[in-house]
Amino acid sequence: MMTSAVLSGYLIVSGLLLAIGVVGFLVRRNLIVMFLCTELMFQGAAVAFVAIGRFLFDYSGQVMVIFILTVAAAEAALALALVVLLHRQQDTLDADAFGELNE
Amino acid sequence: MDLFLPYIACLTLALAIYVALRPSSTSSRVVVQVAMIALGVAAAGWLMGLVVGSISEFVDMSQGIFFSIFSLCAIAAALRMVTHSRPVYSALYFILVVVATAGLFLLLEAEFMAFALIIVYAGAILITYMFVLMLSNQADNPEHPETQALYDRVPREPAAAVGVGFLLLCLITGTVVSGTSSLPTQGDQQSQWSTLENLPKQFESSVMEIDATFAWPPIASSQGKMIRHDGDESYVVSSEGTKLQLPVSILPRNTQQVGWSLVNDFPVSLELAGVILLMAMFGAAVLARRAIELGNQQKRKLFVESDKAEDQS
Repeated sequence: MMTSAVLSGYLIVSGLLLAIGVVGFLVRRNLIVMFLCTELMFQGAAVAFVAIGRFLFDYSGQVMVIFILTVAAAEAALALALVVLLHRQQDTLDADAFGELNE
Repeated sequence: MDLFLPYIACLTLALAIYVALRPSSTSSRVVVQVAMIALGVAAAGWLMGLVVGSISEFVDMSQGIFFSIFSLCAIAAALRMVTHSRPVYSALYFILVVVATAGLFLLLEAEFMAFALIIVYAGAILITYMFVLMLSNQADNPEHPETQALYDRVPREPAAAVGVGFLLLCLITGTVVSGTSSLPTQGDQQSQWSTLENLPKQFESSVMEIDATFAWPPIASSQGKMIRHDGDESYVVSSEGTKLQLPVSILPRNTQQVGWSLVNDFPVSLELAGVILLMAMFGAAVLARRAIELGNQQKRKLFVESDKAEDQS
């Protein structure tokens, strides 16, 4: 059995991971590290899903983590392919260097 | 609990991240960063201590200790990942985050998700990241940090970003502090028993294991359920009227429960997840192939031009 105090401990951990991921996404200028930070945010969400699922005896929480893994895998495949293309074009990974892509 | 203490902990953590991110002289940078990350982890530990109250809230002492170790490891690795100026090290620290999170999942009795996380994240996704990082990064000399790319050393708007993160963390902390106690106290275990009813072969064999003389099948109750509940006890009633109590040990395992929930509650989402993965694979293949074709055309053009040049000479 899990008390609500323990649940809030897990939720704080997930919130910390999410907030650190947001800060990293905004601060880092390397495209690949920015995508890594989104994966960190996914981790925070996954911890919250599993903890609440355990608290309520509802296995949908863990099923959601399976879907998070799916999205993360799809994102990694597509985003990294795009990053490789961009890197070939400009020979840099600086996110600010691609500000004129729309022109 | 003092109302402001959690927010003070959040503020300490935010300041620690800010100082760790600020570019300083390269010689003292590592020392400053490590000190600030230690301060940040201490603030996070204080925050968790404030929220959880005492270690006696956990089922036993060892669970509380393991929770603190895994969660502090995850947060320390996440902080180091965000502040480290070398992308390869960031990816390696992210693997540490994944492993620590898998430990937390084991504590939450989600063993299938724990190992799936290690296999898919640390095993597959992070390897892809490492490949791309190593393909695209010039090797730099660890003795001379100034040879690193400028965009890895200088953060973008650290004050604004840390402010946003601090506000987000405050919002989450406030919600957790005020909200979790008003959640429905506990889900019941009856849903777990109904999963067992959906697995007829396993249900029958586990009942027969307890009592081989039991007259199968049991009689369903007026709600159509074979397993009946009386308070915390669960039992089945045979056609001869004998009552057999079911021990918790025959409940389906975590993996069975998750699998049942996946195909029973989310069939459409499961199909959509498959389509998304297929599309991602197509997308990656198309993007990569176009790059190779462009390369070949350029090569052909260069070849033709060099031919012309030879003809003219």
